[in-house]
Amino acid sequence: MEVRLLRPVLMLYTALFLLFLYGPIIILAILSFQSQSGGPQFPIQEWSVYWYRHLLGLAETSRVSQLPVGESLVRSLVLAFMTTVVSVTLGTMSAEAFRTRFKGAGPIFYLIILGMMVPGVLVGLGVALLANFLDIGRAWWSTSFVLHVVYTFPFAFLVMLAIFNRFDRSVEEASLSLGVSPAKTFRRVTFPLIFPGVLSAMLFSFTLSYDEFSRTLFTAGADLTLPLSIYGTFSVEIYPNVFAFGVLTTLFSFTLLAIYGLLMKRFTARSKSRFAGQEET
Amino acid sequence: MLELKGVTRLYGDVVALDGLDLSVPDDTYLSLLGASGSGKTTLLRLIAGFEEPDRGEVLLNGERLDGKPTHLRDIGFVFQNFALFSHLSVAENVAFGLRYREVGRLENEAAIRERTQHALQLVGLEDFGHRGVGEISGGQRQRVALARTLVTEPRIVLLDEPLGALDANLRARMCDELKSIRERLKVSFLHVTGSETEALTMGDTVAVLAEGKIAQVDDSRSLFTQPKNPASARHLNAWNLLPGVVKGGVLHASVGKLPIGEQVADNTSVQLAVRFDDIGVCAPSDVPAGHDYFEATYVTGEFNGPTALSFFRTPDGELIQVVDHLSDPRLPHLEEGKSYALFFSPDAAVLFKGAA
Repeated sequence: MEVRLLRPVLMLYTALFLLFLYGPIIILAILSFQSQSGGPQFPIQEWSVYWYRHLLGLAETSRVSQLPVGESLVRSLVLAFMTTVVSVTLGTMSAEAFRTRFKGAGPIFYLIILGMMVPGVLVGLGVALLANFLDIGRAWWSTSFVLHVVYTFPFAFLVMLAIFNRFDRSVEEASLSLGVSPAKTFRRVTFPLIFPGVLSAMLFSFTLSYDEFSRTLFTAGADLTLPLSIYGTFSVEIYPNVFAFGVLTTLFSFTLLAIYGLLMKRFTARSKSRFAGQEET
Repeated sequence: MLELKGVTRLYGDVVALDGLDLSVPDDTYLSLLGASGSGKTTLLRLIAGFEEPDRGEVLLNGERLDGKPTHLRDIGFVFQNFALFSHLSVAENVAFGLRYREVGRLENEAAIRERTQHALQLVGLEDFGHRGVGEISGGQRQRVALARTLVTEPRIVLLDEPLGALDANLRARMCDELKSIRERLKVSFLHVTGSETEALTMGDTVAVLAEGKIAQVDDSRSLFTQPKNPASARHLNAWNLLPGVVKGGVLHASVGKLPIGEQVADNTSVQLAVRFDDIGVCAPSDVPAGHDYFEATYVTGEFNGPTALSFFRTPDGELIQVVDHLSDPRLPHLEEGKSYALFFSPDAAVLFKGAA
């Protein structure tokens, strides 16, 4: 094909692809501005922010009950936070262990990876049965939490493994030869250098845990997490307040990403900016 | 004094160091010359404690070092790639050891600043403390690495090919500086290198590492002019080795028969070594009186600036090198493919007993 033609064709393809990716979110965002009388579909009766007010409990009482998301949102955030802390700590430690070849490294590697390979429905069901068998109560902060760690730990581990792969061991040796203990070397040299990787692993773990569904479904017990409670309202009847909520959570995700980006940028550009600042004087 | 006694290090079936003995006296610049893969870096890593020997002892002033964790050994290490802490500034790099070390840590910020500044002065970087380590040149990074090590006042400093990452000009300058810095501090430097010129320039004493053992330890001049074994001679990259067997007091070498200066029993395998710059070249009929010679074919020449290297091939394919000095040429005009007599004074030849 002629190169002149190829360019616009590729551009069109890319545009379509982006539309395919973001189309659902865009539709959802548009529909969230439906008026009180309109349903969860086109056409838009009248533009309004009614469903946002309804979601936040600011609207006058209506026959549509308020979305029961408040508590489940808090639960999901707490669970995601707990999962992130544990998974990233474990992931960093085990990736550190894999820097030296040890006996059984191969099988252990695959055992860790298994956690993200096995279908969530299966492990979810398995843990639920096991909990029943052992007579342990199921709850989002116990059984679900364990499964979330099993699920996100391999991701954190793989991210940290890649980071350590490119890590120059001689800087740690330099620190040791300066008389600095291994623990302090980790704190003062290794950790600052791998921090961008830790940040990425945290983002991964948090996002995966925050919208985890299948594993949580079987193990959360009576108190629901956010994805479960959204699904619960969905299965009864849909009003645009779900869309409004979707838009708000998407914005929240973007905020998280922005914080991640800023931290990353600040971290990687630190030495540069210091130098540039000094050059001017 | 640092002593290594019978140090052996194996990597699977590969013997990196084989019962090596070496001592580094106090207040000395010792350079260790070894080909790549000769185990010279391994040797430094064993002394620093990054690895442990499989057998043997490492002693510093009579105290056992092997088995002791690296951070308690009090030994400085300068890496080939400098291994600077990229997340810290130059001054923070230098202050790192003072601030965080296990033994003899400085708590007083003013004292740390003073010592750091002093170390930066020592390497001529007093105005660079605030810079990031990514924003200074290779030579400056080398100095930061050196200052960072020296500021903690180690008992001995190990340098692993410290000039390897620098360009030639800078290397020559750093050579002088390393030497003068060491002389001011009176601490021993053990400098590992694969370059014979670097080893000879830097070292008060030069040790040659070959096949996992120390082949020879000597001052530069003695080592260069009187290598004690073929391994040392080969590492100096300045000696032609002619292997052969002695019969009836004459060396039967691949290039023909050559007289030898000393009594050697028949059927002894020997190698005759003649330095590149001790060989003259002339037509086979014009060999000056009192010189031994053999014949070889001129292959090609290599012009290196102040010196020129000529390559000859003996009838059995052995390559012989002859050095000529531009300011004081000894060689006649040479034609490629033509046979010449390579002659040398019997005094210039060194005889090594034992097979090649």
